[in-house]
Amino acid sequence: MGDWITQSSQLIASVEEPHGADSHGGDHGDGHAWVSWEGLLVYVAIVVGTLFVLMAQAKKGLNNRFFTNKLTQLFEQVYLFIENMCVGTIGAHGRRYVPMIMTMWMLVFSGNLLALFFPTSPTADLSFNLGLALVSVAYVQYEGIRANGLFGHLGHFAGPKLGGFLALLISPIIFVIEVVSELMKNVSLSLRLFGNIDGGHRAAEAMNTLGAGIYVPFGAFLLPIKLLTVVVQAMIFCLLTAVYLSLVTHHDDDHGHGHEAEAGHAEVAPAH
Amino acid sequence: MTGHIFGLGIGLAALGVGIGLGMIGNGAMQGMSRQPEAIGKIQVAMLIALAFVELVCLLTVFIVPGSLKI
Repeated sequence: MGDWITQSSQLIASVEEPHGADSHGGDHGDGHAWVSWEGLLVYVAIVVGTLFVLMAQAKKGLNNRFFTNKLTQLFEQVYLFIENMCVGTIGAHGRRYVPMIMTMWMLVFSGNLLALFFPTSPTADLSFNLGLALVSVAYVQYEGIRANGLFGHLGHFAGPKLGGFLALLISPIIFVIEVVSELMKNVSLSLRLFGNIDGGHRAAEAMNTLGAGIYVPFGAFLLPIKLLTVVVQAMIFCLLTAVYLSLVTHHDDDHGHGHEAEAGHAEVAPAH
Repeated sequence: MTGHIFGLGIGLAALGVGIGLGMIGNGAMQGMSRQPEAIGKIQVAMLIALAFVELVCLLTVFIVPGSLKI
């Protein structure tokens, strides 16, 4: 584990090397646009500022009857999409987690959208994605503890309830494996987003190099598939968070679970 | 020399992941065509499976260069 971290940090260092001492701001030259953290904060500020202004405008259109503000209607649709996803994945109590998941969706989505126009973006940077994944997994733990209590949540890690001698033998092993897999969720969430967005950049660069001899920017033809990636990756990030939440917050009683799933289905149906 | 091995590793990973993604798409499309009313649920499950499979290829990109340095 430690060895792997050392290796990946060496990898990152070797990626950073070409910039040398002049690594402030974004390097938009050849190779990878790996920005310093001040440069990253500029992009984060663009994303967060845009979202803040849009949401503030949309909030003005809120009223008790119906929304006439176009922006409010747009965000209502986004909300319905996220709510549908949460209720469909987690069950009827999934509506409680919509604010956090919608925040993540908008952050990842606008970060990905920024990656279409700029050489780098918050979500094309491993550190930002790792932070986002840490927040996501920490939130899952928080909700798990809130739903089942601290010991109930830790009990989830120990696998099924076994009796007597078997519990002493197997439960610690399952516990360790589950904790490791919980930690690996950070890695998988962040690497997936980073690999998809940054990989899109590198593919575009490689195709531009291909067409450089005849002055045709082949990389531009990748835009449609990158646009698909933008939507799908934002959705997958939130969907996986919702799946982790559903794994952690479900209650052990069986009849209640079935009832919840049924109620969730009934809620989903009219929105389609 | 290591560059060649690196390329081979990525290529092999891409080969396996391509087969895996194709099989997921195949299964999902067959399921959707047989049961169009379940398209929403099948799509969600398909996207999750796609995400897990393509992570393998991305992990190869990160791990192969690191393991070659030993």
